[in-house]
Amino acid sequence: MLQLLYRSCGLLLLLTGPALASAINTSSGWNMPPGVTDISREIYSLHMIIFWICVAIAVVVFGVMFWSLFVYRKSKGAKPAHFHENTTVEVIWTAIPLAILVIMAIPATATLKKIYDASDAEIDILVTGYQWRWHYQYLDQDISFFSNLGTPRSQILGEEDKGDFYLLEVDNPLVLPVGKKVRFLFTSNDVIHAWWVPDLAIKKDTIPGFINESWTIINEPGTYRGQCAELCGQDHAYMPIEVRAVTEEVWLSWLDEQRETAAAEAASGEREWTLAELNERGAGVYTTYCAACHQADGSGMPPAFPALRGNPVMTSAEGRDKHINAVLFGRPGTSMPGYGTTLSVNDLAAVITYERNAWGNDTGDAVQPSEIRALLDR
Amino acid sequence: MLRALQAVLAAFFGVQSERNRQRDFQQSSPWPYILAGLFMAGVFVVLVLLVARWAAAS
Repeated sequence: MLQLLYRSCGLLLLLTGPALASAINTSSGWNMPPGVTDISREIYSLHMIIFWICVAIAVVVFGVMFWSLFVYRKSKGAKPAHFHENTTVEVIWTAIPLAILVIMAIPATATLKKIYDASDAEIDILVTGYQWRWHYQYLDQDISFFSNLGTPRSQILGEEDKGDFYLLEVDNPLVLPVGKKVRFLFTSNDVIHAWWVPDLAIKKDTIPGFINESWTIINEPGTYRGQCAELCGQDHAYMPIEVRAVTEEVWLSWLDEQRETAAAEAASGEREWTLAELNERGAGVYTTYCAACHQADGSGMPPAFPALRGNPVMTSAEGRDKHINAVLFGRPGTSMPGYGTTLSVNDLAAVITYERNAWGNDTGDAVQPSEIRALLDR
Repeated sequence: MLRALQAVLAAFFGVQSERNRQRDFQQSSPWPYILAGLFMAGVFVVLVLLVARWAAAS
């Protein structure tokens, strides 16, 4: 009988041992990642310490339990003891967990204190959650941009094979220098989102009207990916986070590049655009900002999201003002938001032009950025 | 009063012997226990506050 017990224990170990070992191995994807910052490594080692404490408790508790079940079984003539309460035992089984909790709380508190100390940061970044994209503003560098899903819709719709970073890639990643303390301020434009990047060990809610704070010093250059971790509506899964950590020189040249692009973009808002230019740019903007609801072919999902293809507002000269107004300021009472504060005048002019000319809407209208600028400044 | 304090401490810890329980329930008035409970709750809050202050400062 004892032999059977040994055999079954051995079998159990044989079955679960490799699974356990490979699960603890961080590259398996089952365990949390150690990450690329000092804090993330501290959190990882805390996690492992507590994990092993739990394993030890389980071995002791279940060991005693199974041993008692086996050795004092009825067929061996064991007689149950009948007694009520034993204060000594009760004190022991209350005091031991208390002591274990206090022992675990000491290193955890030390790490928590470091996590909350966002002082002396060299770079401040305001992260704002939008349905469904992130906005990054480098507060000291006068740079800000939206970070949209980079995965093509054809992959989402299954018309194309999925890429390596399916739904984890963006058009404009957050670029940060390694070795510098970066402070993040988190807020939201609409509903509660959460900015979560496992490799940085940061997961913070972004709440409208509130500012949350966190910080990081990234040790190794690389690309670190994350996702929104608070269910925020239809495209919750389509607002990933991509952080690109680079050396300081690369970061500085990236900053210059961003400023140049912003200046060129502002300058081009003044000139006349051709219809072809507007349509080409508008197609890209439409895919990023409009296609989720109104569909790539403009057919919409009526009645919630009206069709744009063949819609009189998009096909007639009389609808032009109504169309521009809807895109800029939204349609109150519906789920159509205003993009006047989100998109640049170039993007707005381009996407409106595209909607008036794509899918057989062929109005031939070209809406100029200067016209949009005049409406927004009014 | 000392007996009430002892009963409250046992309650905070969560373990009380049957003998003490019987003794406590033979008292004529519950007020010493209620007052001791309120007092110890205050002491506990102050203690947690001090520990948190000390942990934040160290």
